Amino acid sequence: MNQKKYRFSLALLCISVLLGGKALAQEAPSVSPASGAEKPALVQASMCASLKEGSPFNPGAVFPVNQGKVLCFSSFDPVPRKTFIFHSWFHRDVLITRQKLTLNTPRWSTYSTIQLRESDKGPWRVEITDQDAQLLGVLRFSITD
Amino acid sequence: MDLLLHFYQTVKWQDLLDIALNSYILFRLYVLFRGTSAFRVLVGVAVFWMFNKVALSLGLVVTSWVIQGITLVAAVIIVVIFRNEIRSVLQAKNLKSLFWGFPRSVEVAPAEVVADALFELAHNRTGALLILPGKEDLSESVHSGLPWKGVLSKEMIMTVFWRDSPVHDGAAVVRGLQVDEVGVILPLSHRDDLPSFYGTRHRAALGLAERTDALVLVVSEERGTVSAARNSQMHEVKSKQELLEIIEKHAGATTAWGRTKRDKLEYGLAAVLSVFLIIGVWSTFTRGVDTVISMDIPVEYTNRPADMEILDTSVNAVRLEITGSGALLRRIQPEQVSVKLDLSKGVPGPNTFTISPASVSLPPGILLKDVKPPVAEVTLDRTVKTDLPVQVDWVGKIQEPYVIAQVKIDPPAVQVSGSARILSNISAVYTEKISVDQISRSGTLSAKLVVSPASLKLAQDRVTIEYIVKERTP
Repeated sequence: MNQKKYRFSLALLCISVLLGGKALAQEAPSVSPASGAEKPALVQASMCASLKEGSPFNPGAVFPVNQGKVLCFSSFDPVPRKTFIFHSWFHRDVLITRQKLTLNTPRWSTYSTIQLRESDKGPWRVEITDQDAQLLGVLRFSITD
Repeated sequence: MDLLLHFYQTVKWQDLLDIALNSYILFRLYVLFRGTSAFRVLVGVAVFWMFNKVALSLGLVVTSWVIQGITLVAAVIIVVIFRNEIRSVLQAKNLKSLFWGFPRSVEVAPAEVVADALFELAHNRTGALLILPGKEDLSESVHSGLPWKGVLSKEMIMTVFWRDSPVHDGAAVVRGLQVDEVGVILPLSHRDDLPSFYGTRHRAALGLAERTDALVLVVSEERGTVSAARNSQMHEVKSKQELLEIIEKHAGATTAWGRTKRDKLEYGLAAVLSVFLIIGVWSTFTRGVDTVISMDIPVEYTNRPADMEILDTSVNAVRLEITGSGALLRRIQPEQVSVKLDLSKGVPGPNTFTISPASVSLPPGILLKDVKPPVAEVTLDRTVKTDLPVQVDWVGKIQEPYVIAQVKIDPPAVQVSGSARILSNISAVYTEKISVDQISRSGTLSAKLVVSPASLKLAQDRVTIEYIVKERTP
């Protein structure tokens, strides 16, 4: 299982380098640079319908509700030490879920997801924060018909 | 005692003006009607009215009802019987004399000289019309007089009314010791109950006597008689002695120094009585506390500090229990009552303001009994400005196989001002709903920003949205 995750993170790293760190969220996501060597650095974040070969597939800013789910993908390089981050999902300004995700050295990509229901239509945002609650990035998107 | 104390504490400037104006009106009525028969009857009616009030306070219902009826009938009778007197008082005065000043003192004519002259003229069957003014101004009632200014004497009077004199047809006005004016034209009386032998001269004498307090003396050319007209009445004077008495009665009573002093005392007393009477009437009408009513009045929050906003209030309206006389409460309108709470001393966070009597504005004569609720909770917060990111509120169903891959907003954030507490719970400003139904390729659009609650203010209310559309990968 660990080996699988390692291969997955390596693949994501390669994609990240190719994309030059650009995110494909609704607006260019606001990504805060790492404040120090001990902090993981967010290099890519995007909303997407699914993952394909460890990278976001069909990233976008608007997703139909009948898609069933939506993912928030985030990639970090470097990850100086094993740590964790949070993906906080807000529907308008109401916190819907907060997911704790582990980051492993030396680089790591991870994602969180939610299942979509009719009542989920509207504007959303996902805040990516580190274990010290420092905001690393914000992704904004909408769920429509 | 509490009621008395409250009475004086709640007297407003409007009440004082009300009392002052009506006291003056009453005093002026006294000044104008003083000495007339109508005034004496009016005093009688006023006494009846006071009896009525006393009877009411003692619970004598039938007595009160009877007195009330008598007072009402008497008031009508006064108007009918004394219509000429009332009219002469009101018509003869110029506007200034109605509202200001006192009737002037009589300038006395030597009675004996006048009486001698008039009876001499009567004996010679020479017509004459002589005016001895009273306290009132004649200028509004007579016309066309020629200044004469002749020293009064029997010969002077006889000369004026000598048949070949060019001014013998008019009346002569005698003031003090001189014949002041001659050839004066007088208003004619329109009464239809006068004897048929009264000619134009008699009607003119009566006409002036109806309108002023002057004594007008007439010598009949045809009958050789002397008549005196005063206070709308005319009668024939049989002897010189009787004429002397009439002239002295007309003038003498107001000439002595003592009489003038008594006049001043009388006017002063009348003024004081007018004030007390009006205070009594005013108290009866406005200070009764026999009725209590409730009114729901909206609360106005005033003097909010410029750097603060009202977040919440516990009350929007309060129920006032007010008391006063039934007459005033029946006329009260909701717009005459207001409740204002001064927020100038408010601080950020919850504040408790007491709705005191000072917060409640009521019309004069109405007293506040109770306020429910007695306090208002007002939550205030400081006004702050902050930049918030803008987010598009997409709706609808995008056509297959397209997907909005990327969105760029200009400007990406806008300044919002409002309550710090409200803004702390808001992380973005959303656009109006934008449909994706017709979007199939990349483009740009302008959208309005929508902010909630409405108390928040935006530095700008529109943004430009650039969107990139791609085909979905199968």
